[in-house]
Parts: sequence; C-alpha cells; structure tokens
Amino acid sequence: MTANTAVPVTAQAASPRPKSRRAGRATPWFFLAPFLAAFVAFFIAPVGYAVYLSLFIKKRVGVGPAREVFGGLSNYVRAFQDSDFLQSLAHILLFGVVQIPLMLLLATAMALILDAAKGSASKFFRTAFYLPYTVPSVIAGLLWGYLYSKNLSPFNQISGLKTDFLSSQLILFSIGNIVTWTWTGYNMITLYAALQNVPTDIYEAARIDGASNWQLARYVKLPLLRPTLTLTTIFSIIGTMQIFSEPFVLRPLGYVPDNITPNTYLYLTVARDSNFGYGAALAVLLAVFTLLLSGFFLRFAAEEGNT
Amino acid sequence: MKKAALYVTLALGLSALSVSYAADPAFPKAEAGKKVTLEVWSWVPGLDKTVASFTKAYPDINIKILNLGGGPATYTKLQTALKAGSGAPDVAQIEYGFLPSFADTGGLADLSKYGAGDYKKYFVPWTWGQVSPEGKAVYAIPQDTGPFAMVYRSDVLTKYGVTVPKTWAQYASAASAVNQKSAGKVKLGNFYATFAPWFMALAWADGGQFFKRDGDGWVQTLNNASAKKVLNYWNDMIKKGDVSTIGAFSADYWNATGAGTVASNFEAAWGPGGYAGSMKDKSAGLWRAAALPQWTAGSAIKSGNWGGSSNVVTTQSKNPKEATLFALWLNLSGTAITENWNNGGLFPASSAGLGLPALNDTSKNPSKFFGGQNISAVYAQASKGVNVNFQWAPWFPFANDNYNKQIDLMIKGKLTPDQALDAWQAETLANAKKEGYTVR
Repeated sequence: MTANTAVPVTAQAASPRPKSRRAGRATPWFFLAPFLAAFVAFFIAPVGYAVYLSLFIKKRVGVGPAREVFGGLSNYVRAFQDSDFLQSLAHILLFGVVQIPLMLLLATAMALILDAAKGSASKFFRTAFYLPYTVPSVIAGLLWGYLYSKNLSPFNQISGLKTDFLSSQLILFSIGNIVTWTWTGYNMITLYAALQNVPTDIYEAARIDGASNWQLARYVKLPLLRPTLTLTTIFSIIGTMQIFSEPFVLRPLGYVPDNITPNTYLYLTVARDSNFGYGAALAVLLAVFTLLLSGFFLRFAAEEGNT
Repeated sequence: MKKAALYVTLALGLSALSVSYAADPAFPKAEAGKKVTLEVWSWVPGLDKTVASFTKAYPDINIKILNLGGGPATYTKLQTALKAGSGAPDVAQIEYGFLPSFADTGGLADLSKYGAGDYKKYFVPWTWGQVSPEGKAVYAIPQDTGPFAMVYRSDVLTKYGVTVPKTWAQYASAASAVNQKSAGKVKLGNFYATFAPWFMALAWADGGQFFKRDGDGWVQTLNNASAKKVLNYWNDMIKKGDVSTIGAFSADYWNATGAGTVASNFEAAWGPGGYAGSMKDKSAGLWRAAALPQWTAGSAIKSGNWGGSSNVVTTQSKNPKEATLFALWLNLSGTAITENWNNGGLFPASSAGLGLPALNDTSKNPSKFFGGQNISAVYAQASKGVNVNFQWAPWFPFANDNYNKQIDLMIKGKLTPDQALDAWQAETLANAKKEGYTVR
C-alpha cells in the first residue's frame, strides 16, 4: 500500500513540469512504435482476420458459384463433429508422446557427453550433430523420401527386407524419424549451451566431494538443465503441433492420409477445397490447443519443481 | 535438270508447310495501337519460346510468363489470388478435372462473351464438353489432352512369348503367364494406387460416368458399374501378384520399367514423353504403343482421358479480349502447337493440330524412344474414341485424395473393390454436402 502511493509522489518530484512528463510518457511508445507497427501488421491483424474469416460459411444455390455468408460459430461446431480433424489431433498427440521424450532424451545424452568430453573430437561431433538442423525441412523430406522408397531404400537393401516405410501404418513413425533427425541436434545445442553457462566452481566443488562423472551428470548437471529442458519441451510441443512440410513432401510418394497432422488437414481444407472459413476456424482451434498444451505442461513442470 | 526438280520439290514442300500454317483459323483481331501486358501462369516447359512467336505476330501484346510448378502448386496460389480479389493472372493453366472447382469460385471469365464459342469446331469434340459442360458458358480454351493407350516393352513381351493383348481378358492371362514364367520377377502391368484420374480414365473408356450435372444440382456416381468392373479386374490381378503397385513417377517406377520388371502400362498421350525423359538410355527403343485393350473383342477402340489442361481467363483480367485471343492462338495456331509439342510434349486438343508434321516426326522423342513408331497416330486414334459427355464436379479435388484412402484399404485387404468404391462414393458425397453442394 505504502509503496503504491509513494511511486506517484516521487515521480512528480522528479519531473516538476507537466509538459515534459507527457513527453517522457511518449518516449517509450516512440521507441516501441516500429516494433508495434510490425507486430500489429504482421501478427495481430492476420490473427484477427483469421478469426473474422472463420465466422463465414459457403452458401450455394443450385450449381452457381458459392457466396460467403455469416455463419456464426457453425464452423467451430463442424470442427468438433469432424472425425477426420479430431483424428488428426489424436495422430499428433500420439506422435508427440512418443517422439518428444525420445528426441529430448537423445539430445540430453548427447549434450552431456559432449560437455564431458573436451577436445577436437567434441568440436567435430558438435557440428556433425547440429548439421541436420541446417537442412531445410523440405529438402530433408525429399532426401528421406528416397531413403524410404520401398525397392531402392538402402535400409531395405542392407536388411534384405521389403519394408514399405511410406505405408499408412508406418508413415507416422517415418515422419517421426525425420523430425528426430532434424531437431535432436538443435535441442542438443541449446542444452549444451546451458551447460557451458554453469560456473565451473560448482563442478570443482562436486569433484572435491568425490563425485564420479556419472554422479556429476545425474546430480549436478541434470538438475541445472531443468529450466532449459522445460524450454526445449515447450518448443517441441509447439513445433510438433505445426508439423507440415515433412508429411506434405512425402505425399506424392505414396498414400499419406489427408489428416496425418492437423496442419496438413487444414491446409487441404483451404488450398484444395477452397473453404477458407472452415480452414481459418481449424487454425484458430489449433492455436488454442497448442496454447492449452503448453500451459498444461508449464503447470506440470512448475509443480514438479516445487516438490 | 535434277537440281531444278529438287528445287521444285523443295518449293512444293515449303508451300505445303506454309499451307498447314495458313490453315490456322482466323483469330479475333487485336485492337490496333492498344498496348497491353498479359500475365500468364503455366507450367508448360519452354513456353517462352512459343510466346516469342506470338509477340512477333501481335507486337502490342506483351506476355509475362510465370511458372509456379505443375498442378497443385499453381492451384494453391490461384485459389488464394481469386479469393483475395487481386493478384490473379490474366491467363492460367488448369487441368480439366479441376476446372469446375475454379468455376465454382466465380473467378473465371465466361469466354463466350469474347467470341470463344465460334472456335468450338476447331477442337477435338470431347475437349469442348470439358470446358463448357452446360454448352453455354465457356470457362476455358482446351490446351492439351491425355487420351489413353497402352505402352509396353516389346522385348519383354517377346521373351515371355506374349502377344500384344487386344482385350482385357487377354491382358489378364498374359499378366499371369509373365508372372509365372519369370517366377514373380517380372510383372506385365502396374496399378497406380494413388492416381484416381488414371483409374477413372480406364472406367471412362468403358463408358463410366462419375459426375453429372442434373438440373440445379449434381449426381455423383463414383461407384458406377464400369468403375466396379474395372477395379475388381485390377484387384484380382493385384491379389494374384500378376501386377505391381509401384507409385507413378517415382524413382522406383522408372527403375522397374527401365530394368524391364514392369513391362507395360496405360499412359496418357503426355506419358511417353515422360518415359523418354525419365529413362533416357535405359530401354530406349524397346518400347511400343498400342491401342487400349477393349472389353469385347473386335469392338471399335474406346478410350478415356487422364489429365491434359486448358487455359482460363480470370475475372480479374483487365484485358479479357486480348487474354482470350492469346489462349486461342496458343492452342490453335500451328506454330504454337508445334512449339508446345517439341518443348513440352503437349498432345494438342486442336483437331488440325493432330495432323501437324512435328507430331508425326518419328526421328525425335518420344517416338524415337518408342523404336521409331509413330505413337502420335496411336494416340490420335485413341483421342477419337474418348466419350464426349464425361463431366467433373467442383469437389473433384477432394474425391481425388479420398480415392487414395479407399484404395489403400483395398490393397491391404480391408475392403473389397466394391466396398472401396462405395466408401469413396459415400465419404465424398458427405463432404460435398457439408460444403453446401446440391448433390445426390
């Protein structure tokens, strides 16, 4: 209470002339303006437009061109009754539950190993692990598309099997493999960078207390990595919800279901069926789901941290 | 004397050539002195060379070509531009099956307003039904076509003692013979499991109709009798292992055809160019083309069509007259048809175009790849046997993808061919109704 009343008093004392106070208030806005203009133009406006679009449905009479009429929330109602869309969410949930832990486990292990092993080999592997991330995802999809091709795949040639990696049973795992290949290195670098920021005296203290390499990793480094792991998990959840290019590039090579991910499904709704209203509604819902999932995870991570 | 005779023959030959060029129909006149620029979206290879000849004839019309990539890549951008109300080109390339879905956006100009109706007689009859389904509004000018014929490896057929099948019954027994004699290593045929238009063309040849305008609505019959007959026929061969199911245009496929482990297929008129381009030296000269097998022996050759495209003019065009003129010239002038055949392998929709010397030049690809056989003649005959009344619906793009889902289930044995087609019909119909179409 006292602090609250004290602030205006000191502020008034510091700036006796009201005119300059107004100028002082304007100054941050002046510097914020370029950012805000871009933020409104390229973020708020498109989101607003998408919400606006999502309220329209196509109305047809006879065989003539469709008219767009206001449909209220009917696109949202349709989405919750659309088994294909709900299934796409189930696909991505299954994908996330399997792929994200696997990828982060790999990334953490690689970061810890790189951190423990100093020297030129470590530098080489650091670059090598990171390299896949620098390959654009469309190119990665094309490359893996060749590696997955049933009769020419080197995996099949080595193993002597005739696995169809692009069949509808395996396609989700095949995509998971591409995503893991691409993003493990990226997450590893983030975790590795976090380890570099740990003051070395903590390690020295642990060493003096007689900690082995394993104990150092398990009881010192891992707990210190916790905030970074939370961050990489959130990024991975968001990234997973947005998976698009890998399945899309693989589509011409075989049968990839329309609703393999929510994003491919909503893209096809717009680009193929030219239903911009319904596509916009799906996009809004997807954004809300992503927010909810990230929120739940943050809550969970915070509770875990407290116990 | 001999020299003079040679000159005479040369002169005669040249005049014959110029006669075929002069046979171009009279195009609408361009407005004198009006300088316009037309933007054209097309994925025809080498179109810039064709356009150079156009600009020579019409110096006031400047053409700007944008190649955004084939099919879907161009469609996505065009859909968005039509929706946005700006940014669409004057002229765009669209495949026949996708025309109704674009007409449905209201973004295509009715070219009958600009005199396009007068040019109907210059095109292969069935193509006009594709661009003007009701016989009134004209949504596009036909560009190229994909009538169906059989392509096969003559060496492989000879090796296994198989004659070129003339009926589907002969094809099935030949497929089983090849499979057995080669101990399963060589397949006579291949089923493209993810290309609905390929399958539809085979049913089309049997008189199958998938969509039909009916008064103020549509009738959809994806599970028509011809479709069921054709799919059951193929599923039997797939189950017996007599044909493979390698994806079209894949590295796997070109590897198999080049090595002779897939010995025949049914391809549209633009297909042989792809065979020549993709296999290059492998199996060059060993391929031949023949008419599509028929269901009854000795009947007139009936065929279907896969792909082929048309040129639309958008309602956003500020110069629709000039745009229509360009679309007509591009698809009816001998110069353009010759260039488009040489550079892009486009099999013309123009009736006169089918007889142009360039198409029947057997010393060049694709005929060269087919052992010097005049394959254009095979395809010209096929084009004459295509059912004129075949129609598409605006929601065909959805049906196109949903087909893959049902066929995938069929190949896994989870659905019979009849069930797969029934599911295709039911799911596509439900979606079309959700999108607000009047359809039964």
